[in-house]
Amino acid sequence: MAAELDKAKVKEAVKARKRVTYTPVVPDEQWGFVHNNVDCIGCRACEIACKDKNGLPPGPRFRRVQYVEGGSFPEVFAYKVNMSCNHCAEPACLPTCPTGAIFKRADNGVVDIDSTLCIGCRRCEASCPFGAPQYNPETKTVVKCNMCIDELEAGRKPYCVMACMMRVLDVGPIEKIREGSYETKAIGPNDKVVRRVRNMADWQLTNPSIAFVPHSKAIIE
Amino acid sequence: MKQDLQNRVRSAVTLDRRSFLKASAAGAAAGLVPMPGFEEKAEAFAYEPYPRDDDLVTVPTSCAHNCGSRHMLVAHKKGDVIVRLSTDDGRYQKDGEFGKDTEEEPQLRACLRGRSYRSRLYSPERLLYPMKRVGRRGESKFKRISWEQALTEISERMVYLKTKYGPQALVDQSYAGASYGVLHKSDQIEGLLGRFLGMFGCRTSSWSVPSYQGTTFSSRMTFGTIEDGNEDDAFAHSKLIIMWGWNPAYTFHGGNTFYYMRLAKQRGCKFVLIDPQYTDSASAYDAWWIPIRPNTDAAMMAGMAHYIFTNNLHDQDFIDKFTQGVDEGTMPDWAKGKENWKDYILGKYDDTPKTPEWAEKICGVKADDIKKLAHMYATTKPAALKASWSPGRNAYGEQYNRMAAGLQSITGNIGILGGCAEGVGKGWHSEAVAYPYDQFANVWFASIKSDRWAHIVLNYPNVKREEVGLWPRNDQLDGVVPNIRGIFWQGSDWFNQLTNINKEIEAIRKLESQGDSESLLVCMDSTITPTGIWADYLLPVATHFERHDVALPWYKGHYYIHRPKVIEPMGESKTDFQIFTELAYRLGFGPQYNPRATREYFLNNDPVDEAYLVAWWDKMSHHSHVDVTWEEFKNLGVYKFKQEQPHVAFRDQIEKGVPFQTASGKIEILSGQLANITDWTKTQYGYEIPYIPKWIEPWESLNSPKTKDHPFHMISPHPRWRTHSIFNNIPWLRETYEQEVTVNASDAKKLGIKTGDMCEIWNDRGKVVVPAYVTERCMPGVLVLHEGAWMDLDENGVDRSGNPDFLTLDNPSPAGAFAYNTVLANIKKSDLDHRPVWDKLATARSHVFRRDM
Repeated sequence: MAAELDKAKVKEAVKARKRVTYTPVVPDEQWGFVHNNVDCIGCRACEIACKDKNGLPPGPRFRRVQYVEGGSFPEVFAYKVNMSCNHCAEPACLPTCPTGAIFKRADNGVVDIDSTLCIGCRRCEASCPFGAPQYNPETKTVVKCNMCIDELEAGRKPYCVMACMMRVLDVGPIEKIREGSYETKAIGPNDKVVRRVRNMADWQLTNPSIAFVPHSKAIIE
Repeated sequence: MKQDLQNRVRSAVTLDRRSFLKASAAGAAAGLVPMPGFEEKAEAFAYEPYPRDDDLVTVPTSCAHNCGSRHMLVAHKKGDVIVRLSTDDGRYQKDGEFGKDTEEEPQLRACLRGRSYRSRLYSPERLLYPMKRVGRRGESKFKRISWEQALTEISERMVYLKTKYGPQALVDQSYAGASYGVLHKSDQIEGLLGRFLGMFGCRTSSWSVPSYQGTTFSSRMTFGTIEDGNEDDAFAHSKLIIMWGWNPAYTFHGGNTFYYMRLAKQRGCKFVLIDPQYTDSASAYDAWWIPIRPNTDAAMMAGMAHYIFTNNLHDQDFIDKFTQGVDEGTMPDWAKGKENWKDYILGKYDDTPKTPEWAEKICGVKADDIKKLAHMYATTKPAALKASWSPGRNAYGEQYNRMAAGLQSITGNIGILGGCAEGVGKGWHSEAVAYPYDQFANVWFASIKSDRWAHIVLNYPNVKREEVGLWPRNDQLDGVVPNIRGIFWQGSDWFNQLTNINKEIEAIRKLESQGDSESLLVCMDSTITPTGIWADYLLPVATHFERHDVALPWYKGHYYIHRPKVIEPMGESKTDFQIFTELAYRLGFGPQYNPRATREYFLNNDPVDEAYLVAWWDKMSHHSHVDVTWEEFKNLGVYKFKQEQPHVAFRDQIEKGVPFQTASGKIEILSGQLANITDWTKTQYGYEIPYIPKWIEPWESLNSPKTKDHPFHMISPHPRWRTHSIFNNIPWLRETYEQEVTVNASDAKKLGIKTGDMCEIWNDRGKVVVPAYVTERCMPGVLVLHEGAWMDLDENGVDRSGNPDFLTLDNPSPAGAFAYNTVLANIKKSDLDHRPVWDKLATARSHVFRRDM
């Protein structure tokens, strides 16, 4: 696909890009995901729903259910950490993009990528601490989760959320999720959410818009 | 033509957006704003041009593979191509709206396999044309032939074999892989194939069900029915759920069982898992994990019963009122002098009290833990002991299920909300049959234990009836062992899925050595399966996206899902009903086989299928008080029944005193039927089965001397990323998990095995090669290898895919249970080849995303 790029357009974009100093967009209301690490059965229906929705070949996986296990037989434990793009408040990928293909939406803070501008340089892939932007070997461009913006705009929720058999994954205004004022089945009646669990990068790097119901072994003091 | 299809498939599967729009030209762009230019980029959708769901045609349908559940799929299509699939979001039911998801009418959200259907529908392994074998059997060489040639040759061979070898020559190995709808049904016992072969007058049926025959036997003997299950919403009301060998995070039994159990957890329910593995169910429900040696479950249960009896924790009122043969007081008059269960447990007959300490030596669970669990179970009300099927897939597996029924009875947890009598566990009774159903529904001239066909072929005529579990008859065919000359596989990958595959291969070779014309192997499927590779003819069956039907849950769940013809059948595929109808016309019984159809049916089945479905709907909706019409149902997509209270098996028996469906009207812990059998060789079981639940030493286990050569016990549970063997070829799913052997960390250390190392696993029956997953989550001495990998032999007969059924034994338990989990084996590091699937490029990325901290 890269061969079909309009080079003049890209050139112009690079020029435009260089004149801008990066200040993160502050959206009207930042949206983000919430995942219950404990109640998740790890079925990966969300991953497959996402692959189907986005027409991805084997390789890139926008949503990744990570399996964590520990302890020694027979005192063992296991939980899941489920992440796609965290649509960070200060996305590390965005300033690395030489063409400005990556942008943050002003209304809901979704970090999106304009595939017609992507030249496949993969800088964003290297910069993301969570592995969200991924290279699609078929299109030779980087692709990433856009929170199913088309579904959000139609008044629905992303495919991964609507796929969740256990109702442990949800999306919404991240501040409300963190305060506990957002109605969602992902958070049980006795659950509290946290910004960060073990097995993920420090949230202070990019201020990711995600919350977790953590496993007791995953809580970081 | 071919190029055309490839393009169509490629654009459907990978959805290349730019070429998609180009191909579909101006019509597609209606409603979409063309890309205005980068300066306005923040306004544009990143993937423009992109067909949004609302620009596509929405068609609600369902999944259709052979699992214990059934969920909605919603196809979003453009022209005749499905662009993507979503699932139930609350909009497709009566009074539905987006997001509606109540405890009473929950959404029916599809699992990862269901979500991958598009990739299966358009897969390179899709069978599109009738094919005929040109090489040796199993050599994978076929040529395309016409339907005319295929059906002519098959029907001629059928007549020849029936005339020469008699009415038992053809084995029905239909299974639920192709169809589970009310109209198109591939089914082991009485599906479309069974009726077809029965009417033709040549059928050997396979009576034992691979998944749960031990449990079926137990449920029938104990309760007189296999409908001993609660609906899934009942689980939300338990205070204690004991998951015995049950992994609802992998095996979806009921549309929302796993979710209702989450609700139970939120309401304070405690969970226990008895299993050699710490499964994802254990972690999600925060269960107390009790690791147990495989195939010793009945011993542990006996130990629990001993504790309950000796500590007087049993519910004597319940026992007196509802059971037969639990103790001396509940023995029927005719059974004086027979053993009762309590005295067996206390050791009165054999001087061996089945104490927790006695059980500990067998099952490896500490006596204190057995006591603690027994105490919890007997004192928590209501408590659900869910005795799953897999511990029953063992030598004497039926004893485990019978023993569980004993525990469920003496604690009074039957027929109450939050309790559990499962068992088979079939819940709500659906009306499952829209196809013609008459006296030919299940006609057979011999009926065998399903995994004994190869044994018969190899040893014919020196085979005793008890070896193969011949079902008794009242005519001259009673006890006549069939001279098997052919197999029909309809929606069935049994060659890959039954036990001891090497023996099956030998049997095929023997048939082959007697000349091509003397046998017939036909495989009907939508996919070229490993079984198909061994067939003489491959017949392409239209998938459920390509025919009209209604889907129903068969196990738990109370709903019907409309399944319209979403797209036209691909290639030259036909529905299985069309194929059998046309074959029946050639064999002279077409109008009887499909009474609503003419011979036109092979070319156009739509009006006839509609007529069958309308007739079914009218009958069903009258019985079940459905409040929408057929036309409304078709517009909606799904009909969910609302129940006043969760369906609980045997509620009426307990609350209203309705008799149980056994001869005595009681829960038969002492089975009257079994107690009165005198000549076991004349029964379908062949060998004696105790009339009360007992512990019987299996022929292989970690306690047996055979561990000297084969020190590991291998179990082969269901994987999550396949349904048996279905979906093994799907790249999206292959990416999420790997076929691998689970090894305990301390065992692995001794053997020098690390995660990802290639290993060979072998015993006297076969050898497979597969990578290792080393973990603390599996008990020492146990290997876990998931069933259903597509066999892939190297030149020395070693299976490169890691299919456990090269190691399993084709010796079923007396009651018919497949002994899938009664296997000793050995393991070592290996430099032999492993191939994750038929193509060499396949690699799972699961290891990247998982495991230790």
